[in-house]
Amino acid sequence: MLSIELLTGPKVSRVWKLVSISLCNRFRTNILDSYLLGGLFTFMPDIKDSFQEARNNSGIQVTEFNGEKIPFVLGLKDIRKTLKDWQNFSSDHPFKIVPHSEDELRSMRQIPIEMDPPEHTDFRALVEPFFNRPTEPDYMEDMSRLINSMITDIITGREVEVVNEFALPLQCRALARLLKVPESEADQWMEWGMHALTEGSGLEQYTAEQFARAEKQPEDNFFSMLNKAELNGVKLTFEEKQGIANVTFAGGKDTVINVVSSIIVYFAEHPEDLIFLKEDERYIMTACEEFVRYVSPLTAITRTCPHATQVAGHNVPAASRVGLCWPSANRDESVFEEPEKVILDRMPNPHLGFGFGIHNCLGAPQARLIIRSLLRALCEQVKSIELISFEPRIENEESFTRQVGYDRVVVKIS
Amino acid sequence: MAKVTFITEDGNKVMANDAVGNLMEVARENDVEGILGACGGCCSCGTCHVRVHPDWLEKTGKASEAEQDLFDIEEGTDERSRLSCQVEMSDSLDGIVVEVAPF
Repeated sequence: MLSIELLTGPKVSRVWKLVSISLCNRFRTNILDSYLLGGLFTFMPDIKDSFQEARNNSGIQVTEFNGEKIPFVLGLKDIRKTLKDWQNFSSDHPFKIVPHSEDELRSMRQIPIEMDPPEHTDFRALVEPFFNRPTEPDYMEDMSRLINSMITDIITGREVEVVNEFALPLQCRALARLLKVPESEADQWMEWGMHALTEGSGLEQYTAEQFARAEKQPEDNFFSMLNKAELNGVKLTFEEKQGIANVTFAGGKDTVINVVSSIIVYFAEHPEDLIFLKEDERYIMTACEEFVRYVSPLTAITRTCPHATQVAGHNVPAASRVGLCWPSANRDESVFEEPEKVILDRMPNPHLGFGFGIHNCLGAPQARLIIRSLLRALCEQVKSIELISFEPRIENEESFTRQVGYDRVVVKIS
Repeated sequence: MAKVTFITEDGNKVMANDAVGNLMEVARENDVEGILGACGGCCSCGTCHVRVHPDWLEKTGKASEAEQDLFDIEEGTDERSRLSCQVEMSDSLDGIVVEVAPF
């Protein structure tokens, strides 16, 4: 999850034109054929690597978003080099960190993702300890309890819809733990659906109210932490706090949900791999990274070039943007053997699912803990998963189409 | 059993006895500052960089291609650089000394 301060996903279905199988005429036949032919390709069906040809030919695919042409960098090594060179590939461009501008969806810069050093360094250092709490033993145990109990609840032998009845509440309840707020708050976040960031002021109004409440009655939580926080002896502005809160809620929601849903589908189709996973605790770690690599739920983050430059051997004019295409990097044949296969003990696995470098995913410890805890709980509790039906979640852009997860997955778990 | 000495960035020495697993896991078990191992040891995150003491380089071997791809774009790396998650402890590495060197 992304370079990415959080698993900032394609946040708004209207903007990203995510369409379900029934609307996706162009790919409908392939998907339905795969489904009807015994479900062999149900897990991430044959829209597997939209960028393969361009990656191997030129290393770049020019994409178009609202009339703006954005070259996507496709090779893993080229993306890593671009990530390192923040002077020429800047994040300091509010609302433009994703290919579609978000200026109609929020009123402030997201922090620290839409910043460059040294400003970025200060803000990142300020918030990082809070986001690293998922590496603490007590936190890990608490997450394990949560996910084990949620798995127990769906082992009924009856049909359950995984995306909305399991993955969404799991992400929200886990976020309540990260932010140290009552779990009841997660009820409202669930109502927002897959994306916290939608048109209107819902998220901003909510976080503004939380900061105001924490000001009146300080507690040991995320909002009070930011109210108290200072940089160079100066308290954060309201807009800065809102910018941090905004990316905290908006990033890591649909992306985590898509990975969780995809894992359930995968094990429904590959029960032998669930047995394999139980053999060695180390496979939990490698499988977590492999699912992040394989699903790659976030398609791209962009950078803006203050000066004319080159990327992957191509000229880029000043003031234009380039995209860093994570799923393409994560299918790069020059790095990964058999990139189209899920190999649960893949090692090494230098994927970019959480980005890389100074903007690597701030929420990665939380996402990793959720996925690892889920895998352990599945190993400990689940005997079989029967896939009843599903609807893939398709990102259908002018320049590419790819599956990012599922809109709906119905299973029976025993 | 194998012993490891980690020298952290501020010069502190952390000794680990009975070291098993890879060097990143040993460092995490002993709370060595500067070694995160966020990805669990699959060469993805680059948060477990160490420099192997010259006396031990021959036994650990040099960085793999996957490691070298990372080191090529990072400052502060050299021919002694390894990702500690990629160095498996064994009796032949008993006494090894590494410097912790976060990117």
